[in-house]
Amino acid sequence: MLIDVRPVAKLTGPDPVDVAAVLAPVFTALSSAAVDLARLRVVCDWIQYRHNFYQPVEVRPVLANRPHRAEPGGEQARPAESGLEIAIDMRRCSDGDLAARVARALAGQAGQDGAGHVLLEPWQPASESCLWRFNTLYWQALSRWEEATGREYEQALPGGRSEARDTGAAGDLIRELLRVWDELDARRALPEEIYVAELGVGNGSQARTWLDTFTELDRLHGRDYHRRLHYLMGDYSAHVLDRARKAVAHHGDKVSTLVLDATRPQQTLAFLRGKAFCVYISNVYDNLPTDDVASIRGRPYLVEVRACLRRTDAARIARRYHTRPAELTALVHRLLRLGPDLLAEALPDRFPATSDAVAFWQETWSALRLQERYVPLDGLDAYQVTPAITGEILRPLVEGCGDVRMHVSNGALASFAGTLPLLHPFGRLQCHDLFLTGPGSYLTGFHGPGKYDGSVVNWVNGPLLVLAGHRRGFDVQITPLARRPGGHVKTLTAQVRD
Amino acid sequence: MAPAAPATAALRSTRLATTVVGSYSVPEWLGRLKTDYYQRRISAHHLDEIHDVAIKAALKDQELAGVDIVSDGELRRDNDIDYLLTRIPGVAIPDRAKTDYYDYYDAEVRAPLPESAGMSPGLAADYAFTREQTGHPIKFSFTGPFSLSRRIRDTGYADPADLVRALARKLNAQARELAEAGADLLQIDEPFLAGYPEQVDVAIEAVNIVTAGVAVTWALHVCYGNRYARPLWEGHYDFLFPAVTSARVDALVLEFARKGFDDLRLLKEHAWDRYLGLGVIDVKSAEVEAADLVASHIRRALEFIPPERLMVNPDCGLRHLPPEVARAKLRAMVTGAAQVRQELGARTSP
Repeated sequence: MLIDVRPVAKLTGPDPVDVAAVLAPVFTALSSAAVDLARLRVVCDWIQYRHNFYQPVEVRPVLANRPHRAEPGGEQARPAESGLEIAIDMRRCSDGDLAARVARALAGQAGQDGAGHVLLEPWQPASESCLWRFNTLYWQALSRWEEATGREYEQALPGGRSEARDTGAAGDLIRELLRVWDELDARRALPEEIYVAELGVGNGSQARTWLDTFTELDRLHGRDYHRRLHYLMGDYSAHVLDRARKAVAHHGDKVSTLVLDATRPQQTLAFLRGKAFCVYISNVYDNLPTDDVASIRGRPYLVEVRACLRRTDAARIARRYHTRPAELTALVHRLLRLGPDLLAEALPDRFPATSDAVAFWQETWSALRLQERYVPLDGLDAYQVTPAITGEILRPLVEGCGDVRMHVSNGALASFAGTLPLLHPFGRLQCHDLFLTGPGSYLTGFHGPGKYDGSVVNWVNGPLLVLAGHRRGFDVQITPLARRPGGHVKTLTAQVRD
Repeated sequence: MAPAAPATAALRSTRLATTVVGSYSVPEWLGRLKTDYYQRRISAHHLDEIHDVAIKAALKDQELAGVDIVSDGELRRDNDIDYLLTRIPGVAIPDRAKTDYYDYYDAEVRAPLPESAGMSPGLAADYAFTREQTGHPIKFSFTGPFSLSRRIRDTGYADPADLVRALARKLNAQARELAEAGADLLQIDEPFLAGYPEQVDVAIEAVNIVTAGVAVTWALHVCYGNRYARPLWEGHYDFLFPAVTSARVDALVLEFARKGFDDLRLLKEHAWDRYLGLGVIDVKSAEVEAADLVASHIRRALEFIPPERLMVNPDCGLRHLPPEVARAKLRAMVTGAAQVRQELGARTSP
């Protein structure tokens, strides 16, 4: 039996967590459970997100083999298990009888598959879960969500935006660019068109700060690079783009806006290949789909999930919207397909106004939970992190940490790897986000997923991006924010090396 | 296996002879095994055997694609620089650990290189192995002295050009050994030269030191860099001329497919009367060119250089392309060249 207590920082100091108080009830429950303790892992986390996807006690099977895909509508045999994980959220486990919770969770796991829940989807890698369709819906129907909550989404973010207003940091970067452009110009190697791009534009304050600072410094510099500059603003949400555009309206046609998928930047920005002198990305990567992989006793696993609602939550939501729990799955998927406006139009009996459909969306999102299981991989190389990158890239990180579970940051890696080719040989990528700086961080803390308003947040596997950049000939650094060195948001910078 | 046919004869007898620049696709699994060696997970002996097998496969791929003049794919090399620097006495590499096999070492020259000591082990054994594996003509390439010097922290020479010349003398000794082993088409690669256009005279002077007294067909490859499938520099080939006309080489092998063919005019303007290795395949893109496109590139080049002096090759090495893409690109190149050859009439007999 293996016990893994991850939030080690909380075990010391003036008010340490009482681990014995957590583990004693667990052992009490296990003493009478029909569980092979030799194959059991107890994992204690501290889930800092008040809104998250987990119960205080979760039981996760470790499968012996990859299960066969079930035929549509067919019954699937319960896959053989080679182990079991009991996951405890130490922040919430003191509420109520923990031993009874563990016993119930074990009994539930041993019983009929999915019993006690309304399942919204089959088992699948987390990056394919419907939770990301909820996330997409949030950005597409952001104005509706904001109307319902009465606050703008930036108020829910962890404060990374203030860096966007740092004229000092922008000035340093711009002065460096002016120096590079002078050198290239002297060799007749400076392109006629100079591109700077921003992916994920927020409220436009980064663009405004950058362009205002650039205009002033370029004027003082006296080479009129401003004439050649094009500032491209790209975002997934047309609503966000429209709002950001207003912030830089005084820069006129120097600025272009593009709706784009951050995970596939070259789909929209292929014309920039090798031309961008600066690409700026802020608070985007932590909101992109990710899988988790794990190494358990030296074997690699992919974490599969399925979104569900607890029966009690499902019954409450169904009652309120005049439907039955069994019909909720179809109704949720209809919401995700149509959005709240069209859902209200399509089902006026249940949703007389759009605000009712938004309320249904918010309640379902709030109640959404994830069940998880570990599925063995035939080899890391057999797992595709992105269409162009195999799991082989994970090997140095996974193999160096013993038993570990980590984010793959698939969306962030796809975005990062897709952005690097856009850079001019003397260009740079600068990114502010929730970056982990070492794979060991996964051994000592919980880093998502959590819920921020209607969106999903996961800390980004920084070491993976560093490694991927390195393998593409880039020097990648992750450093604390200049203005808030103690904060969680960090700066990643990538430039060509060698 | 019959001994390899002379490359020089193949060049002379074949209009639009197809060849490669040097490196061949390094599959992900091979990269992993190479890194395993640097992290002491497998022995040098095992890695040598793996390289032997990989080179045989690379040769077979080129033969099946129909390439006229083949190479060993530079598959034994960790990268274009270190494979040579680690063999040169006097080049200090304090830390030989690598987290990835393709990384560059930090190399330093603290005193003038000892003139009497040769490179060890030499490159001739690599050529000899390749020669045993194929009946096709072989091109053998190595990085030139100027580019090697750019990866060395030089505290040993008052004039950096002297380091370039010293490296050139080492490579000249290697070239003599290669020629003795039977190599007759040698290529000097200068991937960094485009980044230092003001130093082209030193680079060409060093090329002439490398080629001095070695009676083989010499090619000089200058590109805009292919490290991690990215260009290291941008610009035009103007900087090469007229300096390169004084290089004692028989062929210039240049990158065109990615950058466009405008610089072909330079060959005419400067009366280049030797071979041109025409880059017709973009090695930085996984998109496979159509044979028709390759043929159109060749036709464009024929406006500037006669078919007897035109070699057809990719822009640079294929190392960063997935194996299936590399194979498909070579097939497209060979088919495109064959189309134009057919248009030009029967293949010239020796």
